[in-house]
Amino acid sequence: MYPGLLDLYGDSGNVEALRYRCAVRGIDLEVFTHELGDEKRADIADMDIIYLGGGADYEQQQLAEDLISYRKELSDAHKNGTFMLMICGGYQLMGKYYKDSNDKKIDGLGLFEYYTEASTDKRDRCIGNIVVEAELDGKKYKVIGFENHGGQTFGSDKPFGRTLCGNGNVRGGEYEGYMEERVIATYLHGPLLSKNPLLTDYIISKCTGIEQLKKLDDSLEERCRDILLKRLLK
Amino acid sequence: MKLPKLVLIAVGKLAAVACRLVGRDAGNFPGLALWTIDKSFLRCFSVDCPVIAVTGTNGKTSTTNYLNKIFSSLPNEKCVITNMQGNNLDTGIGSLLLHHCDMHGRIHADHLVLEVDESHVPVIFKYLKLETLVVLNFFRDQLDRNGEVETLILKVQKFLEHSDAQLVLNADDPNVVRLCPKGKKAHFFSVEKYEGATDELYEAGEGKFCPFCAAALEYEYYQYSHIGRFRCPRCGYGDVTPETQIKDIDFDNSCFKINGEAFTSKYMGIYHLYNLSAVYTAAKLYNIDSKLINDAFEDFQVNNGRMEVFRTSDAELLLNLAKNPVGANMTLRLLNQYKGEEQLLFVLNDNVADGLDVSWIWDINFSIFNNVTKVVTSGTRAYDIAVRIKYSGYDAQKIVPIPDLDAAAAEIFSTGGRKFAIANYTAVQPTRAALTRYITAKEAH
Ligand SMILES: [Zn+2]
Repeated sequence: MYPGLLDLYGDSGNVEALRYRCAVRGIDLEVFTHELGDEKRADIADMDIIYLGGGADYEQQQLAEDLISYRKELSDAHKNGTFMLMICGGYQLMGKYYKDSNDKKIDGLGLFEYYTEASTDKRDRCIGNIVVEAELDGKKYKVIGFENHGGQTFGSDKPFGRTLCGNGNVRGGEYEGYMEERVIATYLHGPLLSKNPLLTDYIISKCTGIEQLKKLDDSLEERCRDILLKRLLK
Repeated sequence: MKLPKLVLIAVGKLAAVACRLVGRDAGNFPGLALWTIDKSFLRCFSVDCPVIAVTGTNGKTSTTNYLNKIFSSLPNEKCVITNMQGNNLDTGIGSLLLHHCDMHGRIHADHLVLEVDESHVPVIFKYLKLETLVVLNFFRDQLDRNGEVETLILKVQKFLEHSDAQLVLNADDPNVVRLCPKGKKAHFFSVEKYEGATDELYEAGEGKFCPFCAAALEYEYYQYSHIGRFRCPRCGYGDVTPETQIKDIDFDNSCFKINGEAFTSKYMGIYHLYNLSAVYTAAKLYNIDSKLINDAFEDFQVNNGRMEVFRTSDAELLLNLAKNPVGANMTLRLLNQYKGEEQLLFVLNDNVADGLDVSWIWDINFSIFNNVTKVVTSGTRAYDIAVRIKYSGYDAQKIVPIPDLDAAAAEIFSTGGRKFAIANYTAVQPTRAALTRYITAKEAH
């Protein structure tokens, strides 16, 4: 949703990563987009996955009202088991509220209990590489990304993972994001799915119901991860 | 307590001398020293000549260099002061002024031509009288340093409401046209629709919505990224008549026309034509003869990793700096324009000056990648760019990641023919050095 407004820090690359890893396995992936000002979609709850990226404060304000009009549809989608992937701004807007760096409070969808507050000092941001240890179907996986957020998120009772390097939900925090079996809400840009092929496959698995996905040659991705993990987890 | 002007100038001059004594290039240090003592240190200087400033995300350095060349070629011109090294923050410009001023802070010159970082326009021209401001474009660039694009535009916009500088503005960038205060006449420049223009947005860009009424902007065509003929269907924002428009673009003969007069240029990329259009508009505000403008267009040569050519006996490589997706897309447009086979070298670093984050590479458009037989990637993030290109659908077998730059240079030159290279901010000088080392070593044999 809102790829035109919520595409900060290469977040559109997440769709490209999903598309790529589906395509090489012969899995059909059809991408629908909803932009601000588009006619209302009735089929939200029929989607396999809903994706929201991150945007600047100004852009998040612009679309907040439109997003709220989807409260029921998104809540139904969540209940129906539609996978929800939400990065940064998308993560914040699914919570109870977001108080931005201009001290302006935006109502969130309230799908989850957490809430976010940003410092009014615009330079007070958590910026840098981040590694989070998440659990995907019982297996630990180091998720690599880049965080860049002014908001501090409180009350996430089911975090996405434990922070090994970087901040996470709050400055100097121990945990990052919010997760359910079919929900991943996180501050990690990168784009997230380009840095973490197993996470991408986890999502594809959940969306398609295919438990054993065909293995791919991930040598470039793995080498990329090895170098970064070695550097970041010194 | 604020130190008197004369004392500040003396301290600054001493700092510059101290740098030279220890054999260091002064760079922005003297300015930084004064800034530490007094944030408003720029008030110390008095400039008695016109100040022309160039700002915008991409193209500042070359546009400034063109203007400097043109003003310097004027028959009675004795002194043009310019910041050629891209020292474009308040401290860098302060150092430049310190170098040229007398002990009273006075600067005598015929023209001051300055490249100014977008975020520093209000800071610098609070104290220096600005006569002409050229604004090229606003793209997403190293967000961590500047704050978000919108904040940046608002800052410049607010400053311009209280400035009487004449404005030279890009008519085809919705992020720039809005800078013209209500009721004021700006000098708009543009380039007519060129052969690579598209009906749909081809590369990621900003400014999709009207800044005045929030309606989605409509485009007749896009030249590149979000630069193109736009208009707000609701309130008419964007209805401007350009004073300068580059027309009759002839890529085969590297020439074009402005107001019926013919011009020639070595560099014909669409983004570069916009810079030339800006240069022409600014020069004409000073009644400069078209012949002098054309001389500058014709002779201009850059050798700092911006469209720089490296040759071996059997190969030719064009290196271009890319600080952001727009810069990289420019080089890919040139690569795709080339009819034969070619190879690409992409050097990506993630140092502090690069903004640490490399996610911007996902905003580069690799969907068209004509006749590329091999990609070599290098830099501290060689594998990140390799993965990015792989996910665009390019055959992973043809991607060779080599973090070591010397080895990467040897790999890209292992075959002859045409090559293109893209390097980001901190990667560009090391890349130049590695390419030069390879060529020198090869020639020695
Ligand atoms: Zn409008």
